[in-house]
Amino acid sequence: MVNYQEKIYLTGRGLEKFKKEYERLLETRNTKDEDPENLVLINQRVEELSTIIKTYELIQAPPKHKQHIVNLGATVVVEVGGQIDEFTILGTLEANPSLGKISNESPVGRALFGRKIGDEVIISSNIKTIIYKIKEIKYEL
Amino acid sequence: MNNFIDFFIEVGKLKKQKRSGWVLREVKNPETIAEHTFRVALMGWLLADKKEKLNTERIVKMALIHDIGEVYAGDITPYDSILPKNKKDLKKLMRTHPRFSNIEKRELALEKHKKEWQALIKITSKLERKLREEILDLWLDYEEGQTKEGRFLKQVDKVENLLQALEYWGKDKNFPIIPWWIEAREIFSDPILLDFIESLDKKFHSR
Repeated sequence: MVNYQEKIYLTGRGLEKFKKEYERLLETRNTKDEDPENLVLINQRVEELSTIIKTYELIQAPPKHKQHIVNLGATVVVEVGGQIDEFTILGTLEANPSLGKISNESPVGRALFGRKIGDEVIISSNIKTIIYKIKEIKYEL
Repeated sequence: MNNFIDFFIEVGKLKKQKRSGWVLREVKNPETIAEHTFRVALMGWLLADKKEKLNTERIVKMALIHDIGEVYAGDITPYDSILPKNKKDLKKLMRTHPRFSNIEKRELALEKHKKEWQALIKITSKLERKLREEILDLWLDYEEGQTKEGRFLKQVDKVENLLQALEYWGKDKNFPIIPWWIEAREIFSDPILLDFIESLDKKFHSR
């Protein structure tokens, strides 16, 4: 078994969503006629949400003078292979690459972290090296 | 039992429905959606076993239903909105990883979500309420990554796709494998799956 501890990073919006779900499930759990099989799943989820709500770290926009650096919550416009793309870097719980939200734990998320406009980030593999050139950094939290 | 029979006949169509991504790349005898589902379920189960506190029963069930809406919605790919008409341009496009702004990504994802949700509502319509609700709940979890099982399976689905692409590339070196590797470094974040894809990289590409 692999044991790893990951920090839970959430935006304010993400936190609100989890809190609402937590409260809704607590109410459902107290319903007398709830199916016992469902109750097992509800209890699992309540435990998971409780851990999230107790241990999260809030993602906030950095002060203005640090907004030229990629940090959690940044939306980064990059040029890659002659095309433009953009990624918002969030914690794993809110990452959804099909919406442009990538995890800070992904190789590209990790490599962009701490970099500035104009920097080139190199991602290598055995078959291809990809260069991401940072064109713009925005904080739209 | 008739409601079950109707449901099984409908989902059975996935045994013949070929995956669009391979059809676009002109792969000979491409896998079907059911074949993809089979290995996603196995990978989800076995790889989840290497992690702590994951509900493998939930993962396997989620894997089994994750693409059933494609019976009606079809297999939608990220290239669909930008497909060129002529073959030469299509081949060129298949060698790139499609890039969109975050606004475009949201619009495409919303459209795909709507189509697949409507298809799922239709295909589960004759099932009894409890089973239907379970399937819809599992699908939303997979789609939105609501629980750690949902987030894990979403990435396993992509890992299976990467492995299949590598197998096609192994048979035909003209197969455009690079877009998969570009995507892999952007979308995977689970430590076990990152370890797994690095092993794939070594196995298929080390000389």
